[in-house]
Amino acid sequence: MKRLLTTLLSASLFAGVAATTTVHAQDEINVVMFGMPYTKGLQAIAGDFEKETGIKANIDVIGQDVFENRITLSFTGNTGDIDVVHTPVIQVQRWVAADWLKPITAEVDAMAVKSDIMAGPLDAYKINGEQWAVPYMAATGLMTYRKDILEAAGVEVPQTWEEMLAVAAKVHSDETAAIAMRAVPGQGFNMFIFPMVMRAYGGKFFEDYTAGDLTPAINSPETLEALNVYMKLLNEYGPQGAGNFNFAEVQAAAQNGQITFAVEGTGIAASLVDPDKSKFADKTGITLPPGGPAGRSPAIAVHGLGIPASAKNPELSAKFIEWAVSAETMTKIALAQPFSNFTTQSVAQNEEVIAKYSKVHPDFLAVQAEALNLAVGHYRPLLPEWPALGQAIGENINGALNGLMSPEEALEAAEQEMRDILGL
Amino acid sequence: MTSKPQPRATAELERGYRNMLLPAVFAVGIFAIVPLAGMLALSFSDYHLIRGTNWDFGFKNFVRLVSDKRLMGSVYAMSVLSFFGVLTQVLIGAAIAVGLSKIVGKWRLGRVLFLLPYAVPHVAVALIWLSLFTPTLSPINAFFDLFGITVPSFLTTQNGALFAIVMADTWTNFPFAMLIILAALQGISPDLDEAAALDGATRVQSFFYVTLPLLIPAFLMVTLFRFIDSLKHFPMIFVMTKGGPGRSTQATNYYAYIQTFQNSNVAYGAAIAVTLFIVAAIISFYVARLNQRITS
Repeated sequence: MKRLLTTLLSASLFAGVAATTTVHAQDEINVVMFGMPYTKGLQAIAGDFEKETGIKANIDVIGQDVFENRITLSFTGNTGDIDVVHTPVIQVQRWVAADWLKPITAEVDAMAVKSDIMAGPLDAYKINGEQWAVPYMAATGLMTYRKDILEAAGVEVPQTWEEMLAVAAKVHSDETAAIAMRAVPGQGFNMFIFPMVMRAYGGKFFEDYTAGDLTPAINSPETLEALNVYMKLLNEYGPQGAGNFNFAEVQAAAQNGQITFAVEGTGIAASLVDPDKSKFADKTGITLPPGGPAGRSPAIAVHGLGIPASAKNPELSAKFIEWAVSAETMTKIALAQPFSNFTTQSVAQNEEVIAKYSKVHPDFLAVQAEALNLAVGHYRPLLPEWPALGQAIGENINGALNGLMSPEEALEAAEQEMRDILGL
Repeated sequence: MTSKPQPRATAELERGYRNMLLPAVFAVGIFAIVPLAGMLALSFSDYHLIRGTNWDFGFKNFVRLVSDKRLMGSVYAMSVLSFFGVLTQVLIGAAIAVGLSKIVGKWRLGRVLFLLPYAVPHVAVALIWLSLFTPTLSPINAFFDLFGITVPSFLTTQNGALFAIVMADTWTNFPFAMLIILAALQGISPDLDEAAALDGATRVQSFFYVTLPLLIPAFLMVTLFRFIDSLKHFPMIFVMTKGGPGRSTQATNYYAYIQTFQNSNVAYGAAIAVTLFIVAAIISFYVARLNQRITS
């Protein structure tokens, strides 16, 4: 009854989001994912899966916003219309807490590809001793910069955010702003980027996350310093309107030659150094995002595939996942799409793959590997409450950035709201 | 020989009509009443996606609503969006309808042009206006830059962002107001205008004293429809501002979404939605009564 009520509520609230229910035929599975190079690539070669296994995979690739509503309706309603679901690591704790996923430890152990998958991203899906999804990509934070502009200003690539402030002041002009980063509020938007600055200054979300002390600690002098740097960079050295930029606006500004530095995820950064995607690619370099007194902490976002608890044919779902993360499938997608952040390691040894990404940018694969090495798994805390926490913190950070409140007030409010969400 | 219809035949006929209504009653029951009842039940519960439920029913969520400052902020954003949005849509829609009603001949087909924005999906509308209001992407900014004029950034201030959403909403929804008012205008007999002219009224006088009063029911209806729809603000906010800057464009419906889908607090999200529904229902009731009084 509870599930029925929830479904009905959701349906009545968001009637605009159409939930397409496909009738199950035998040996047919429904896969729901949101748009990314990998998922689009997978959709394009779904026919290969049918040829190999005789199982038809209906792969739905939808917008991320629609995705959230689509799966919430399906899972709370227990409709069983999704057999394989795109599972971002940042959501997996919440989904497991809500009983939305099926544990797949045995299934994953039986997969031949398991030993070929990077251990870090695979372990990120381990909760309470069970495996809940299999990763296919690990995106990380990278920085691109315009070599010609730095050269003309006679400055080096900044290694710390402090240096970035100094460099930004020298390269900023009416034609080309110094830097753009995501600013719109949201756990996957400004809260994908801001923690890179925060962690570089020694700021943290909790007193001691790794030791299990989840007392909110975001209202600290370190985070305040970081927030001031982030605000100064975007407000004084960012393009006009930077306070409402999301990744698409950052990408467009870089592609149009309107900014010198972009700190972004792998996918966007890769497109900025790819001659097919940006006319400034040959003048653009790629490197690690800046660090600070507490080191360098590139963002990390792991994405994988899981099986909903309500899936009707878990064996077929597991078969699909094994195919989707296999070195063969991954290689095909890495060659067809701008998809370099695969987590199946042997793909990186494929000569065609190496040739393709060296051509995009000679440093690209090496920088990406270094960033992944430096990234902390719990860059954004792996908690069921994270989506709510990230939303609340992100809204306050954005409020400060756009002058609705002082940075001090923003951090105080963020910490209080963290307490409220965690029930402390 | 003709005879009056037998009472029995009339009763049968009525029963037949009643049966014809059944599918509609059934559809409304399934698609409107049941979900509403479900939402109402949820709003009294403690259901949370992560914490589950202890089957603890009560008024807790509604008590929390009263002291929720974020809800008050969202009501402010919603009121601004609804008031200015509906006002401009009705005014622009009416002005264009009056203009179009005077056009005769083949140019009448031109009215289709004005309907186009209404046919564009809301997400696409929001994307168009997002790029128009993003200084680095906007052709408007690029144009003024040629003359050394810097157009301010709208989406990074509260009033600017609210204004931008009102613009996008007006652009896509004024054709609805236009259509209804145009239909009402065409229902007004030209004899009335002629009679007024014979009595010496100028065209302006005849518009304000003859046409406009006859349009009031149409105005009321269009305002009501647009108002109810405006309480459901979502795609424009989601695409254009994500509720920002800060939380300043989080209208109440968007806030219910945040509580339900981001904070997993389904019960509280339902309580917000139920309250919104009740407010809309009360306002609709009074507008409908006002309409009845005017037409009678």
